[in-house]
Amino acid sequence: MTYKDYIKWDRLPTTWCAGCAIGMIFKNLAFVWEKMNLPREELVVVSGIGCSGRAAGYYDVDSVHVTHGRAIPVAEGIKRANERLKVVVFSGDGDLVGIGGNHFIHSSRRDVDITVICINNGIYGMTGGQMAPTTATGQKTLTSPHGTAFAPLNIQALATANPRHFYARASVYQLNQFQSIVREAMAWPGFAFIEVIAFCIENVGRRLGFKNGHEMLFKIKQDYKMNLKPEGLLQPNELGVVKHDNPAR
Amino acid sequence: MKGLVMGNEAIALGALKAGLGFFAAYPITPASEIMHFLAAHEREIAFVHAEDEIASIHMAIGASLAGRKAMTSTSGPGMSLKQEGIGLGHMLEVPLVVVNVMRVGPSTGMPTLPSQGDVLQAAHGSHGDYRPIVLYPGSVVECYRYTIEAFNAAEESLSPVVLLSDGFLSHLSETVDLDAVEVPLKARTLAPLGQGRRHFTGLLAKEGIPKTKDTAYYREWYAHVKEKMRRTAQNYRFSDLHRHPKSDTLLIAYGITSRVILPLRKEYSIFRPVTLFPVLEEELRAAAEGHNRVVVIEMNDGQYRGEVQRVLRREVLGVSILGGEIQLAEVRERLYDL
Repeated sequence: MTYKDYIKWDRLPTTWCAGCAIGMIFKNLAFVWEKMNLPREELVVVSGIGCSGRAAGYYDVDSVHVTHGRAIPVAEGIKRANERLKVVVFSGDGDLVGIGGNHFIHSSRRDVDITVICINNGIYGMTGGQMAPTTATGQKTLTSPHGTAFAPLNIQALATANPRHFYARASVYQLNQFQSIVREAMAWPGFAFIEVIAFCIENVGRRLGFKNGHEMLFKIKQDYKMNLKPEGLLQPNELGVVKHDNPAR
Repeated sequence: MKGLVMGNEAIALGALKAGLGFFAAYPITPASEIMHFLAAHEREIAFVHAEDEIASIHMAIGASLAGRKAMTSTSGPGMSLKQEGIGLGHMLEVPLVVVNVMRVGPSTGMPTLPSQGDVLQAAHGSHGDYRPIVLYPGSVVECYRYTIEAFNAAEESLSPVVLLSDGFLSHLSETVDLDAVEVPLKARTLAPLGQGRRHFTGLLAKEGIPKTKDTAYYREWYAHVKEKMRRTAQNYRFSDLHRHPKSDTLLIAYGITSRVILPLRKEYSIFRPVTLFPVLEEELRAAAEGHNRVVVIEMNDGQYRGEVQRVLRREVLGVSILGGEIQLAEVRERLYDL
């Protein structure tokens, strides 16, 4: 199996815009499966609604594209029905921590053995660029024309709230680190949540003054630093893994 | 099993008999006992007390896709939340059983007095066109039998089947012999996840490829789904008719209402549908024949009566017993007043 075997090439071109961040994450996930030599029959991908939610349909494995926000409960049902399957959720921030936020909190509490990859572009991209729970304070969007009044959701705090947890922050720029994190997450026997810092050029970037996706990508390079051995939690500008395997802390 | 059994327990036992492999739900009166009984079996089936109604139906969909017969149960407020999953189930073509133990609504309404107010919701609650199978038993032993039939119908139709009950019936305890109920079981029909390369999507899709702008394909697809549901429903036409030789009035009632009006058999003809949807049109027409008056008695404001009127194409009278209490004396009085 090579990474090509995990992708439905006849479905290309994807729905994603030129300069979109999702494609790179999509392809790098397939690289990880190639390295894991994961048989197609042992893998299921579940997506919700949104740009990232279309990923499930482009992977050439059994996949489910569900309603908005419900990728995690569908994934949990699949995993609990068949422990043999590796279940990966691939969806966006609006889907997973906005409308689906309750499921994120509770599936992580039940520590169901799935891997959640959350593409965080800080915006509702597919619907045109509305404020997301992850949108930076003060940022103008279609639904916050005078700037967002609220602080972005602290995903890390939620994901690490339980005694046993696996939270990682990766980015679409540092893709080697993304790959190693995914491998670690998929081997983690429990709920593993990976927040991938991404961007949306078409429905937010241009309004913010970026000329193309490349500029947004390099902004991520500037803004985020890797922290390979964090003491406690990650700083907001750090990428890395925060995990705890001992329930008695 | 022989002995005193409650309606909700009979539903749980019927599900286990049918081969239930996954159950997820959220507590809600008057449906919770289904959960309690199945929780006791959590070592034999996968059981999740979910964070909400939406999660529980979506988990059941996931589990069904992954190869297990799945069920979720709730009451009205939860049924409103589950509509999203019911629509998804119809689009993905996933076998599933959804139990709604009805109580008085809208909203929190009158917790937790019995009602039959969710009859039309069971058929049309989710957005878009779909043609669900809806069963509504009328006794404890029927709760058991028709739960099994609901699983069979779900497998055969590859769709979420709604099993209705009400707070009265679900909390009714009767002495029953469930072992005497014989219903052949349908095996799993959907190949489980893990085959390699299938895509299930809530979008209109042809062999896993979205066809979201293809009107002609939508029409073709819908005709296929409609025909599939019609064909399957042919095997699940459950009803009974008591013809009174001297009555020129046909009473129609279902669920707990049919149970309460049982003594009226001495005066009237009574038609009792168990399959509420698709509406049993032929049976209704045959039952109405020879009767001048048709009266639907139900614990809602004429929901099924509208369906009967549509089928018979003539005026159909109704006795609506609202507000969570039903007494034979009131029904009788209201019938005389018609």
